[in-house]
Amino acid sequence: MIFEIEIKTKKGFVDPQGLHTVSDIAGIGIKDISSVDYVAVYRINGNITGKQADVVAKELLSDKITEDYTIKQYNSLDDKKLDKNSIEVWYKHGVTDTVSESVVKAIKDLGIKEDLVVKTGKKYCLKGKNIDDKKLKKIATGLLANTLIQEYLIK
Amino acid sequence: MAKNFAMVNKMKKIKVIIIRTAGTNCDYELKSAFELCGATVDRVHINELISSKNKILSYDVLAVPGGFSYGDDIASGKILSNEIKYKLGDNVKKFALSGKPIIGICNGFQILVKMGLLPKPENFEQISTLSYNDSNKFECRWVHLKTEKKNNDRTLCLWTRDLPDVISLPVAHGEGKFVADKKILDDIEKNNQVVFRYCDKNGKDTVYPQDPNGSLNAIAGVCNKKGNVFGLMPHPERYIYALQHPSREGYDGVYGWGKKIFQNAIDYLK
Amino acid sequence: MKVNTIEILNLNDKQLVELSRKSVLSLSLVEMKEVQKYFRNIKRNPTDVELETIAQTWSEHCKHKTLTGNIEYTEEKGGKKKVTKYKNLLKETIFNATMKLNKDWCISVFKDNAGVIDFDKTNGVAFKVETHNHPSALEPYGGSATGIGGVIRDILGVGLGAKPLANTDVFCFGLPDTKSSEVPEGMHHPKRIAKGVVSGVRDYGNRMGIPTVNGGVFFDKGYMANPLVYCGTMGIIPKNMSEKEVKPGDLVLVVGGRTGRDGIHGATFSSVELDKESDVSAVQIGNPIVEKKVLDTMLKARDLKLYRAVTDCGAGGLSSAAGELGEKTGLVIQLEKVPLKYKGLAPWEIWISEAQERMVFAVPPKNKNKILNLFKKENVEATFIGKFTNDGKLLLKYGNEVVANMEMSFLHGGVPKPTRKAVWKQKPIKKQSPVKVSAKTLQEDIKKVLADINVCSRDWIIRQYDHEVQGQTVVKPLQGSSITNSGPQDAAVIWPYTVVKGTKKGIVLSNGINPEYGKVDTYKMTASSIEEAMRNAVCVGADPEKISLLDNFCWGNPNKPEILGSLVRASQAAYDLSLGYGVPFISGKDSLYNEYTIDGKTYSIPPAFLVSSMSVIEDVNKTITMDLKNAGNSIYLIGITKNELGASVYSKVKNFKNGIVPDLDVKVSKKIMKTIFSAINEGLLESCHDCSEGGLITSISEMAFAGDKGVNINADAIKTSEKMTIAETLFSESNTRFIVEVSPENVVKFEKMFKGIVVSKIGEVSNDKLLKLESKKSKISVKENIKNLQKAWQKTLQW
Repeated sequence: MIFEIEIKTKKGFVDPQGLHTVSDIAGIGIKDISSVDYVAVYRINGNITGKQADVVAKELLSDKITEDYTIKQYNSLDDKKLDKNSIEVWYKHGVTDTVSESVVKAIKDLGIKEDLVVKTGKKYCLKGKNIDDKKLKKIATGLLANTLIQEYLIK
Repeated sequence: MAKNFAMVNKMKKIKVIIIRTAGTNCDYELKSAFELCGATVDRVHINELISSKNKILSYDVLAVPGGFSYGDDIASGKILSNEIKYKLGDNVKKFALSGKPIIGICNGFQILVKMGLLPKPENFEQISTLSYNDSNKFECRWVHLKTEKKNNDRTLCLWTRDLPDVISLPVAHGEGKFVADKKILDDIEKNNQVVFRYCDKNGKDTVYPQDPNGSLNAIAGVCNKKGNVFGLMPHPERYIYALQHPSREGYDGVYGWGKKIFQNAIDYLK
Repeated sequence: MKVNTIEILNLNDKQLVELSRKSVLSLSLVEMKEVQKYFRNIKRNPTDVELETIAQTWSEHCKHKTLTGNIEYTEEKGGKKKVTKYKNLLKETIFNATMKLNKDWCISVFKDNAGVIDFDKTNGVAFKVETHNHPSALEPYGGSATGIGGVIRDILGVGLGAKPLANTDVFCFGLPDTKSSEVPEGMHHPKRIAKGVVSGVRDYGNRMGIPTVNGGVFFDKGYMANPLVYCGTMGIIPKNMSEKEVKPGDLVLVVGGRTGRDGIHGATFSSVELDKESDVSAVQIGNPIVEKKVLDTMLKARDLKLYRAVTDCGAGGLSSAAGELGEKTGLVIQLEKVPLKYKGLAPWEIWISEAQERMVFAVPPKNKNKILNLFKKENVEATFIGKFTNDGKLLLKYGNEVVANMEMSFLHGGVPKPTRKAVWKQKPIKKQSPVKVSAKTLQEDIKKVLADINVCSRDWIIRQYDHEVQGQTVVKPLQGSSITNSGPQDAAVIWPYTVVKGTKKGIVLSNGINPEYGKVDTYKMTASSIEEAMRNAVCVGADPEKISLLDNFCWGNPNKPEILGSLVRASQAAYDLSLGYGVPFISGKDSLYNEYTIDGKTYSIPPAFLVSSMSVIEDVNKTITMDLKNAGNSIYLIGITKNELGASVYSKVKNFKNGIVPDLDVKVSKKIMKTIFSAINEGLLESCHDCSEGGLITSISEMAFAGDKGVNINADAIKTSEKMTIAETLFSESNTRFIVEVSPENVVKFEKMFKGIVVSKIGEVSNDKLLKLESKKSKISVKENIKNLQKAWQKTLQW
């Protein structure tokens, strides 16, 4: 089973990474992006239950005060659907993902003993005028992903 | 300047434990600070504490130092706070409720807050957090701090007694913005649990960069209601000598105001 | 596991070259023929493991073939040609000076992973600066992170391991306002590179708990496609642990990170020009927490004397690390025992992978379990992978299969020495026409120069680095009179009180770099950079006779005679200055082939010679900083100002065509620096700042706003070598000049001490927070609020 746990800043709290991305996008000469929500994504692959995934999301991956989480569940990644106007960035296969090693350790600390494979990704949800594929690609390659080591996903 | 290093307290040797793990960075200077105040100090790895769970209770002072425990992966201090809570929680709570001094500095503060030992160790649930700086970047600079003395003109916190109204200390963090619900925040304020606030050199309200992170109510450090558990983002262990201050200010000619904080805990136990 | 035998015995020249290119071996034809000869002698073809091992060991990165090779250097001056032949440029210049100086406080020079000098009776301090240019061009964040990670391991791998106390970093980037359309396809924009590099150093350095205390940034369009990333680390080591010795029978232990495909061909890759299709696997990703765990545990193992030798896995991976340790003895390795990140690596990949955070130890068999337990207790992976022998052979096995079997003597001594031609022609240089400005223009120019990208505040970078962790940074990279003002501090001072209990001593770190001068003359650039590094150290109170230096060459393609010629000239300057000052170089590094081809046109970087300096001072309490202290104090300029605006910041801002690049008189310089040292030592100076990029008015402005004080300056009092206009005087970048602040009670003593030295009393410190500048002779009067000066200085680099 594959779980994707998405962590997002709660309404009413500042999302500095999102705000910073807005100004970075303007900095590379792309206009009309008015806001960006930054979402940290953890993909957990392994034999755990939905309840366990909820414990991981609640106790480990999100901050109780400032962050919300949502859990998506897939049998296979082929079932995954991408959001409109969003860019996901993931490490390419074989590139060391250092955070994933820490997450694996920390899940064990919670008392979940199953062997899991974890990947970490970033998702940027964009709002603004005239967002098209060309713009999304330019933002992805010019700012958010280094295609040498990362791949980006857009709808 | 270091001649007082071997200063020995003949009455009682205070034992300090500094918890460390992968990514702990500020343990050596913290050890030096406590030693300068006459304590004996052990830096103990978390693995060792977990394998002999009662070891921690044999100490008089518990210190959680700064650094990047487990790389601060996921969020700063998160993994170590869970590890301590799930594997050592009972004894840490017992330590806190016994009234013995506990300090968490920078990453240590983040850890105490995220496991729920601050601001309310009785409940041991996370009710506040330290979030990303408003500037969205790591900030290393000296700041002014106002010492709150609303408790009959003295501080509630045993660590910060007899400090001047305004002191300066260095900060170095990317996630230091203190955040809590309004109700919790009001509670903390009402109970005089705010120990330090970012301020200007006269103790007045200030803005970025002198307030380095945008904390609610400019909070830089808090304690529990008893005043024995103390957490703060700035680094008092980096200011135990006047020489460490950018313009070499201090007290008694050689010391920095950070030293006074550690001295307070040791003196309290004598 | 699959091991291939590579046909080499019967290849012709063309095929040999093709084999080298196709397999990214980066070996020349001469070298390939030497390899062919060796295998013809032993009558068999090499395996891929053997060929890769040779390529790594003989790489420019590991062997420094250019600087240690034969060079025929022709110098053309005034129509005359002079030819000099070098058999080993490095040995005959920089290293030779160190040998001649033979300082008794040098403990280990040019032989280990870092240079080591005396700290006190029982401790030494080690310093190393590395470059990580090519990886940073491709993946700025990962490249610079692994750059700092790598140089930290150099310090962990010097002697039996030093404890890191401070990091330094110096970068050269393209211009941040470059138009996107001007950036070559497949390359990152210079600003993206700069931001990524800074973040990489920040995240790795901060997580390691090592303060980044000194550095610099130089922007020039010549570094657009090829940024330079210099990372340095200084550490402290007990003197009795500054040597290592492997004994036959010792076990080979690999500790830390796992091995993956990361950085395959990194060592050979760094001698290849970058192009669009540069190899993906050359990129490395760092994990600082793994390295931090290694640091914490290995120093414990060191103090328990559990191993006899250690070195880091850097360029060339295990092949270099284990190969270096076993060079004198020989060794046998079981490659299948090396812990891997994932399955599927071929034996040659395991052997040369540059996966990060790995150290190799030589462990006496009796300590086998003790050392494993020590690492295990703190979750550090440690695995025995082989044994040192006494047969002088490199024997690699995968299971029972022998995959490499070569003589160490061939591997380490067999590389043929190339002979290269180098030329340098003196170019005619003219003074600029006299620079005349109005008071109003002058006032604007002062702010323009302060705001110049190569002068302006680096606080956006500096404050992202934890420069105070460990609590020992007593002179910080930004200094000011209160905690809200700051100016650029010349050098940092580390007081290692947590390591050496009760010590008063400190370690001064500084640097000098100015590629702008090198565009005119690399001799002058090198000389000025050396003096700048020394000046910076002297400003805080270092003894100029106790300074040690590190050299770092970043140059273009040495196969081009003019480029190699400029490299020879820089080496000669380093030799002359090192001997002239009596300061030894203790370690160094070079990175060549820094060029980039696009649309068939080759761009070579402006040559850059970074000098890093380290010195030990007796009493940290005596150190001073650059910010002005008290109103009523006198301001003096020490040293003479010459008409030297060539390649200056002012000349760039004003677009001058001509100008003389600053010269250097070592004798005068030595005397001045020695006297300043004495004055600081006797407590006669309140503040001290050197004059460099931007000239003396820039230095005075910086001192004023850092101290939150005003200054009254009489420009007519500035002593010049010839008649100069006020703009020329204020912005000239002549070497050997310092601005110092003296309190009234010390003025007599100060003036007496500086008798025989050119000193101008140019003004005093005031309380009115204005920079007031007067010249009756030129009828110019300027008045500017120091807050405006500070704003100009701070606004440029705020990303």
